[in-house]
Amino acid sequence: MNENQEKTTHFGYKTVAENDKASMVADVFHSVAAKYDVMNDLMSFGIHRLWKRQTIASSGVRKGHRVLDLAGGTGDLTAKFSQLVGDTGQVVLGDINSSMLKVGREKLRNLGHVGNIEYVQMNAEALPFPDNSFDLITIAFGLRNVTDKDKALRSMYRILKPGGRLLVLEFSKPEQEILSKAYDFYSFNILPKMGQLVANDSESYQYLAESIRMHPDQETLKDMMEDAGFEQTSYQNLTGGIVALHRGFKY
Amino acid sequence: MLANALLSLVERVVNHVLQLDNSLKDRLAAIADKQLLIEIRDWQQRILCVYSNEQIHLYSTEELSFDCMISADINTLLTLKNPAMLTQLIRQDKLDLQGDLNIAQGFSNAFAELDIDWPEHFSRYIGDAPAQQLWLSLQTLKTRGAQMKGKLEKTLTTLCQDELAVTIHPLELAEFKQQNRQLKSQVSQLEMRVNALLKSC
Ligand SMILES: C[S@@+](CC[C@H](N)C(=O)[O-])C[C@H]1O[C@@H](n2cnc3c(N)ncnc32)[C@H](O)[C@@H]1O
Repeated sequence: MNENQEKTTHFGYKTVAENDKASMVADVFHSVAAKYDVMNDLMSFGIHRLWKRQTIASSGVRKGHRVLDLAGGTGDLTAKFSQLVGDTGQVVLGDINSSMLKVGREKLRNLGHVGNIEYVQMNAEALPFPDNSFDLITIAFGLRNVTDKDKALRSMYRILKPGGRLLVLEFSKPEQEILSKAYDFYSFNILPKMGQLVANDSESYQYLAESIRMHPDQETLKDMMEDAGFEQTSYQNLTGGIVALHRGFKY
Repeated sequence: MLANALLSLVERVVNHVLQLDNSLKDRLAAIADKQLLIEIRDWQQRILCVYSNEQIHLYSTEELSFDCMISADINTLLTLKNPAMLTQLIRQDKLDLQGDLNIAQGFSNAFAELDIDWPEHFSRYIGDAPAQQLWLSLQTLKTRGAQMKGKLEKTLTTLCQDELAVTIHPLELAEFKQQNRQLKSQVSQLEMRVNALLKSC
């Protein structure tokens, strides 16, 4: 075997060198940042708002909590958490991508959310916080973009406080074959066209469709969370399993 | 998720009204950030209410964390406007109360005086909400609405016969009936609108 052989990983359907994936993902989000919110509403018919709402409903968050909204992008979850944790709590909006953080910061400022939000550029695989720092970590539609997901899950586990919980909201495997087919058609034929029309960027949305298909299914992700140390793991399928909300605790 | 879709509409209407009413905000300030969990037993729903950052937040949740919890059937919850009945209901096992009762009272006092024209508000927001989910929500709303109407009527009749006849002045009774009629017509208006919307979906 060739010792120098580069390690590879998936970028959508393409297999790329591990070292390249992060920068390729970065390109995707740099190019969609400005149109990100509009596209989200369009592509999911606005249902992403309900998926996020369900996430907040399952968060157990309350005044005084410290929350990390990882891969938080334009900060939809951060906005709600910031209200719920109040002035004695804190929300960190973390993202690897400076363009997304910038759009997020501007949006939240305009909405009047200031004071208890911190914006930090970070890689989910090596979170820049001491052990036991957060009551809650959420990662919404972010995990599938991360190169080494196991490493990221371990890193999240490390910085959660005992008693804290992780919520992973991510595209998953539709429960029914027919929905699965319709959804495939939608994401491979219609999504990239919408991306082309609205954001003038069909490639990024092609990547989106492919990365969704490559992402681990419900049971696999649950196992991965357990391997990283999480306990009492469970998941809830939303919209027929197009999206799943996984939950795990650190004790 | 359906419940949360509906609650997001209710939340928006309530917050809209709230923004126009500073006295309401003052009254709610006393219970800011406190979690009230309302368990509707026969609907198998738990609804979390929090007033924080000058906004009401409503979530359907499985969580069991709260500062105050009320658990009862929808019928019982709808009769709760009369606090004198609380002990009686608890004794009959129809109601369970845990935690700080002031929180529940705070919410109920604050909203008792609210006069919300639900159909009007809903129609304003409905165009905004996610289309597919909404269609489903409306269907449930339709059946629940019909059930609610029936239950409301029954509760109110019982109330009139059992409680009000002995305790209330005839004038008050007349006014009560008048309000009852208004409520009924509002519910049927809402039903008609929902039907119309469903047809146009
Ligand atoms: C699809 S967006 C989701 C944004 C937001 N959470 C939402 O639900 O609207 C994915 C985000 O993950 C970020 N991301 C990708 N890889 C990451 C990594 N390794 N660490 C942290 N964030 C990452 C991207 O920059 C992007 O903002």
